[in-house]
Amino acid sequence: MIRWGSMEKVSLFIPCIVDLFLPEIGEATVHLLRRVGVDPLYHEAQTCCGQPAMNAGYREQAKRAAKHFIDLFGDDDVIVSPSGSCVYMVKHHYPQLLRDDPVWLRRAEELSGRIFELSQYIVDILGVEEVGASFEGTVTYHESCHILRGLGVSDQPKRLIRRAEGVEFVPLPLADMCCGFGGEFAETYDYISEEMVKEKVESYLESGADLLVLCEPGCLLNIDGYLSRNHPEKKALHIAAFLAGTGRGG
Amino acid sequence: MEIRTTLFNEIAGKEIRNTYARAFLKAMPAAIAARREAVMSSFPDPDAAQACGQAIRAEVVARLPELLEQFEQNAVARGAKVLWARDAHEANGIVLAIARERKAPYVTKGKSMVTEEMGLNDVLVEEGIEPFETDLGEFIAQQLKRPPFHIVGPAINIPVEEVCDLFMEKAGMEEPTTDPVELGYAARLFLRNKFHHVALGVTGVNMAVAETGTIVNLENEGNIRFNKSSPRTQVSIMSIEKVVPTMADAMHLTRLLSRNCTGQAISAYVSMDSGPKGGGEIDGPEELFIIIVDNGRSEIYADPTARQALRCIRCGGCLNLCPVYAKIGGYPYGWAYSGPMGQVLTPLLLGLDRAQDLYRACTLCGSCREVCPAGIDHPSLFLYYRAKDVEGDRRLRGKRRPWKEFGFFDLWSRAVAHSTLWNLGVRLVRPFVNRYSRGGVITTMGKYFEGWFRTRNLPAIAEKTFHERWKRLRRDTVSGDPDGRRGEP
Amino acid sequence: MSKEKTVGHSARDEILGKLKRIPKGAMLPRPAMPPLREISLDREQMVATFIEKLTREEGVVCRVSDGSEAVARLTEIAAQEDLRKVMVSTDTVIAPLGLPVWGRERGITVLTPGDFSTRDSFRDAVFDEVQAGITGVNYAVAESGTIVIVHDAHQPRLVSLAPILHIALIPTTRIVPTYEQAVEAIYGDTKDIPSHVTFTTGPSMTADIMGKPFKGMHGPRRLMVILIG
Repeated sequence: MIRWGSMEKVSLFIPCIVDLFLPEIGEATVHLLRRVGVDPLYHEAQTCCGQPAMNAGYREQAKRAAKHFIDLFGDDDVIVSPSGSCVYMVKHHYPQLLRDDPVWLRRAEELSGRIFELSQYIVDILGVEEVGASFEGTVTYHESCHILRGLGVSDQPKRLIRRAEGVEFVPLPLADMCCGFGGEFAETYDYISEEMVKEKVESYLESGADLLVLCEPGCLLNIDGYLSRNHPEKKALHIAAFLAGTGRGG
Repeated sequence: MEIRTTLFNEIAGKEIRNTYARAFLKAMPAAIAARREAVMSSFPDPDAAQACGQAIRAEVVARLPELLEQFEQNAVARGAKVLWARDAHEANGIVLAIARERKAPYVTKGKSMVTEEMGLNDVLVEEGIEPFETDLGEFIAQQLKRPPFHIVGPAINIPVEEVCDLFMEKAGMEEPTTDPVELGYAARLFLRNKFHHVALGVTGVNMAVAETGTIVNLENEGNIRFNKSSPRTQVSIMSIEKVVPTMADAMHLTRLLSRNCTGQAISAYVSMDSGPKGGGEIDGPEELFIIIVDNGRSEIYADPTARQALRCIRCGGCLNLCPVYAKIGGYPYGWAYSGPMGQVLTPLLLGLDRAQDLYRACTLCGSCREVCPAGIDHPSLFLYYRAKDVEGDRRLRGKRRPWKEFGFFDLWSRAVAHSTLWNLGVRLVRPFVNRYSRGGVITTMGKYFEGWFRTRNLPAIAEKTFHERWKRLRRDTVSGDPDGRRGEP
Repeated sequence: MSKEKTVGHSARDEILGKLKRIPKGAMLPRPAMPPLREISLDREQMVATFIEKLTREEGVVCRVSDGSEAVARLTEIAAQEDLRKVMVSTDTVIAPLGLPVWGRERGITVLTPGDFSTRDSFRDAVFDEVQAGITGVNYAVAESGTIVIVHDAHQPRLVSLAPILHIALIPTTRIVPTYEQAVEAIYGDTKDIPSHVTFTTGPSMTADIMGKPFKGMHGPRRLMVILIG
């Protein structure tokens, strides 16, 4: 666990899809952090990490997003986000995008050491697993690609889930198989995406769990979007909402 | 082989509805991946073993010209004839010249993806020389005129009934059967006859060892060994990146290749040739030709980002873990190379313009990158290709994108950089999107995002976005410190 | 210079020239790898591992104490398999056993490479006439139950490939723990590298039809091994 000073600035990065479609996840994140003793900043000029442009090959456009982000978050000690793919974008792709400009590159590299996905921040940095969460029933967990393979985060969310009072954790079959979101992929290659999310939901049903928890808003839109249409009695919840006990996650 | 890379959606759309292939794809790749996991544990440190493979292949790419020269020198010293071909046309010409001179009425071929890339079989057929694929899966695919379904099992998706009909028609099988073992035996008899009298055998090369001038082939069936033992002339064809520095490196890669390919510790046969047969030997080739083929790779080499594509050892490990491949199988990739490794290589060999879907039909999940024993970062290459396509890069043959899309991202990026524009944009778009919403849920947006809405709902854009909720949220702060400091709980 | 040669030469120069013009890329450090577990096995453990691995690949393995017991075992196999005509190598393991005489005494035709004056007549025999190929091996690798054969005039390639049954005789003194020991011994002296070396692990196999694996594709359908010593 990294020891931080007692007065560091912890700042929130709320992904664009959370801002627009799932603001409750942002609220849950704030409530959760406050419960564990962190009262985060929120820079109101934040917008988007630039991933959609990056993934579509629009590097110049993605650079604009990157520079805006770096300018905005540059003074914070720690940045926390309820999205692994956004954190991966900042940590991994910003230095690559800005490698031709030594000043921006340095700023991007420096920033990459200070940005964390939510569960990673709580468990690894704050050293906390007991966050006052509770849920009566069986819970399972979907390993989002950018969080698992991009950030190497897998243990932390599961620890937090297991420590919730009343929870029985059950494994999800094929937990690390991609759910088929992939941003634009879900629309452009819809016929493949829907087969992938269908299989992910089949795994969820097979697990017998009462609830599916995950850490990635994109996966949530995808999986819960499919559940809402095809299995409305089953729910998926973002880990922030699950831990904060605020219910609605998608 | 017909190139159908521009028909990705059409073919994938068809294959994804093929329940037979789907059942197959659900079981087989996962089974191989599970076996791989088990057999990698024969290494006391599997991660180090994988990292070693990656280091070997990185060294190959870094030292490529020097290793090729060393390989050639040592191979020639053992009596091999080493010939170079700039492109498929030249390579085919060399094979043709050899086959003509030796008056071979037919040739037998071991599995070689570079020869599929070259279209060698079509060239031989035109010349009146019949090429017999002798790897069972390649034989079936060839006779059915199908592209390969999987890098390791080119015809594993073909139902037994179809194989039976084929063998009765084309392989001299007399009694119908749907038993794979009996079918295999029928193919054995048919092809054995070809091996017996063949004058020229063609093989690929898994590894060309620079240290000793040795070519190494891995197989399970024995057909490659026949091609190296029965005919008087052996032609082995390799693309430039197949070279490896030392025999020790070749042994390590043999372990990794076998484990990733089929979940075996080692393939049933590994054969190593250093020159043609020795003087007293009663079998084996009197002449060994090794053809080194470029076909666009020296161009790839010149690109510091793309050159990692040359590390690939064709193990197929990436195919076995790809969630997209698991839905569509090998046909949609449209050419000799399928799955993530095909998505990496084909756009470089054919041009970004002809492979538009190959580097876009990917969620960037990273499973391929994680398993790759050669250390290729497939997702980052796909992002690179997408960027080069947008930029219309001339060397890579980027096509540029529709102006509407460009306009969208450009406008969008300016909104991202200026939050007042962003917030304004949200307020403008929200009523338009939300007019489709019922009870906070959108089930359709007419002709917009039809693909998503066919099977999925979407939440409405929140009446108050997080931005709009912040003021209230901020006031509710427990610690009373609006500057967001982390104090003692 | 013939036209073929000029064209070939210029293609080589062009390809290498292009590659050499590019600045050398980065290499990755070779990680420290702990030695494979088989390295620390003693002879008996290597034999046991070899038998376990090869048996798992459906190799049929038995062990005898010496050459004469090996021949006795061959006699049993010949009766069991109803062998009438076999091809044997004349390598250092097989030659001392006197198999041609052994065969004559039992009504089994034992052919050797030296019996043939042309490659075609040898090829016809090994493809069409013999029911088994009997060879020695140069090394046996415990790591995976693999036999290593260095091919030469006494050890033609087709003897262990074309017949449907391959019987390999292996002195246990030739067992090594991993591939590296065999490869170092064979390729260590760069002046004397053999033209053809094969690693064989069990019978030939395929899973190309419906992914259903079975033994016996182009190479031998069965591999029998007699460990000697």
